[in-house]
Amino acid sequence: MSENNGVVLRMENITKTFPGVVALDNVSIDLNKGEVLGILGENGAGKSTLIKILAGNYIKDSGDIFVDGQKFEIRGPAEAVASGIRVIYQELNTLNNLTVAENIFIGEQIVKGPFRVVDWKTMIKRAFELLDTLNVKLDPNAIMGDLTISEKQIVEIAKAISKEAKILVMDEPTAALSEEETQSLFKIIRTLKSKGVSIIYISHRLKEIFEITDRVTVLRDGKKVGILKTEDTDENKLVEMMVGRDIKDMYPKREVKIGDIVMKVQNLKAEGFNDISFRLKKGEILGIFGLLGSGRTSLVKALFGANKIKSGEIFVNGKKLHVKSPSIARDEKIGLVPLDRKTEGLALMMGVKENITLANIKDLGKSFLIAKANERKKANKWIEEIGIRTPSVDQEVNSLSGGNQQKVVLAKWLESGSQIIILNEPTRGIDVGAKIEIYKLMQDLCERGSSVIMISSELPEIMSIADRIIVMSKGRFTDEYARKEASEEKLLHSACL
Amino acid sequence: MAEIKAAEVSQKKKSVLNNTAILFLILVAMFGIFSYIGRPWFFSRLNIIPMINNLSFIGIVAAVLTMVMISGEIDFSVGGNIGLTACLTAVLLERGLPGWLVVIIALAAGAAMGAFNGMLVTVIGVNSIMATIGTMFIWRGIGYTLTNGESMLAMNPVIDFIGRGFIFKVIPFPIVLLVIIFVLTYVIMNHSKWGRRIYAIGANPLASYLSGINVKRVKFIGFLLCGITASLGGLILTSLSAVGMPQHGQGLELVIVSSIILGGTVLGGGKGQILGTLAGVLILSILYNFLTIMNVYYFYIQIVQGSVLIIVVSTYEIGQAMKRRRM
Repeated sequence: MSENNGVVLRMENITKTFPGVVALDNVSIDLNKGEVLGILGENGAGKSTLIKILAGNYIKDSGDIFVDGQKFEIRGPAEAVASGIRVIYQELNTLNNLTVAENIFIGEQIVKGPFRVVDWKTMIKRAFELLDTLNVKLDPNAIMGDLTISEKQIVEIAKAISKEAKILVMDEPTAALSEEETQSLFKIIRTLKSKGVSIIYISHRLKEIFEITDRVTVLRDGKKVGILKTEDTDENKLVEMMVGRDIKDMYPKREVKIGDIVMKVQNLKAEGFNDISFRLKKGEILGIFGLLGSGRTSLVKALFGANKIKSGEIFVNGKKLHVKSPSIARDEKIGLVPLDRKTEGLALMMGVKENITLANIKDLGKSFLIAKANERKKANKWIEEIGIRTPSVDQEVNSLSGGNQQKVVLAKWLESGSQIIILNEPTRGIDVGAKIEIYKLMQDLCERGSSVIMISSELPEIMSIADRIIVMSKGRFTDEYARKEASEEKLLHSACL
Repeated sequence: MAEIKAAEVSQKKKSVLNNTAILFLILVAMFGIFSYIGRPWFFSRLNIIPMINNLSFIGIVAAVLTMVMISGEIDFSVGGNIGLTACLTAVLLERGLPGWLVVIIALAAGAAMGAFNGMLVTVIGVNSIMATIGTMFIWRGIGYTLTNGESMLAMNPVIDFIGRGFIFKVIPFPIVLLVIIFVLTYVIMNHSKWGRRIYAIGANPLASYLSGINVKRVKFIGFLLCGITASLGGLILTSLSAVGMPQHGQGLELVIVSSIILGGTVLGGGKGQILGTLAGVLILSILYNFLTIMNVYYFYIQIVQGSVLIIVVSTYEIGQAMKRRRM
């Protein structure tokens, strides 16, 4: 048992509050030498906050940190590094126009001679050795920008262990990796582990937690729910701990009465796609599936007036539309929940209420003035109705969790009375609980007589929630499936046609 | 419950320690200290009235430029606009046009200048820093051309009234204009739908566009209004000095932008307060006036003004960094 090797890190009763949120509430973890500790939790559970405190990016409100049994105050990133803590973030910070060796030794180039010139030879040799200890074949002279994401990640790991690393934290390291690349990453993790490095492994993916970790800590709403030996638990139990309730059905699907055609798109062509036709019925959720580059985002942007239509026609309720701009689409009661809510959907520095009313400012009052009490009332109504968790209507949306931010974007279109709501990857980067709520909300909309177009690259999601799925590949329509006839194989096959 | 409480506390803190309130406290303190040190000259009618007249046109332009800056753009051509307006006014008066007509033409010219800036930025897509530095030179160049580079007398009952007239025999007319513009811009930015659009565009132009806001139109109107108010400022300056000369308003764009930034408006948009701008204008103008009447050498005054700007902006940055730190 690796536990016998002694505790390298202990974080005791860590508490951290942000305006409006207790991000961490008396959380304690301990990490043994040569152990892989998984940290599991939904977005907003406090995983990132815990890591950022460990890395010196945040200052804890209270609690103690012990490294090798010594009490240790981390006041900044440099001190964390000095005590052997390395963090590899989800967004890699690589310098893409430098070489692999330069990236590994950035900031501490090996120098020689009285003029401290860079000792390329030694540096490349050391880089080679480092990569070799990780059992990977990578040319130290390769330009970083030419590497794949997984290779870049390996370089980051090499950089992390170039100085003595006791504790290596990996934040969602497999988010952008293929199955194969994940396996080679796991090989590296095992190598490091055998060298006595302790690893904190953060992930959403349960399968990986079982494959690589020795123990797993589950966080929920800033509290530690439990710490378990990985071998003593199973997937259902972990999900229950994460979400705090029994998830029998991850994808709740209700049968909603589907009515007449509300939107008809004929031979639509714009930048990024060609000759797309489809129909959308009242109360229906139409799924659009396609891989990256299939033209799905271009298509929804065109439907919303943000991508210039070259030819083809759009009819809504029998009326031909000329959606030259999003404002026209908005007036025609079409709403878009965009791919990236932070850059396209929300004014992050503004409050919840301002964001909810953003697409419908003209109805904020009878004159040119805003009736502020009325605005609060409207915002509060949606906060209550769709369950946006925010301390107040004035809270900056920046400080809300991803799921709640997504609900604010959705509320914006509900407030403007949209009848056709287009959602582009609606559950991207949000936690399990919020995902389920979004699925329910989409179906609530349909029950009220709206229609939904959902773009998704998550197969289980689109296969369970959409009533009908059209598949796009390379900007073309390839296939259409009813929900019951769709299967992962069929959809993937059509997406690669 | 704990969450809610924490939020309430943070909001209370925010309202007590808000930047604009601090600026006004500084302003009051400055005014008190200057009145004491500078007695009896500083706090006298002979000093205060001209001081307010002088800051009035800066304030008028700054108020509207604040709107442009909150929308994420900037207008450096306001100084050039003032110069051109002054020259145009003088030339038209010399031609014998009636005062009221001259005022209308001058304001129309301002509108044209603003519309030109707005078109460059919203239709062609030129970065507003470059576009308005360009037009700054053009406006002033046209001013030089109009008067052949000379100063021209600009006297006329209507023009005289704009800068030197009194309402109810005691309130200087420029102050009336200043108050009107500030009340209007305050209402627009804090209570109107249009102001909300301006803040939203500054906070995130793409999300605003994708929420159906006509980003280009809102920005264009901002530039248009900025042009009109700059020419109003030009009329006031012409009236106060009784001459139209192309050097009028030279360097003023930087004083105005400095005042706005001092007042808490952020370059890049989304954040800013009309009252903050008012405080910024008052602080810089009062400081300048005080140092002048204390016979401080003009070169030193510039050093002090620059330092004040840097100190205040640094304070904002430090405050922001501390806030991030706490997060």
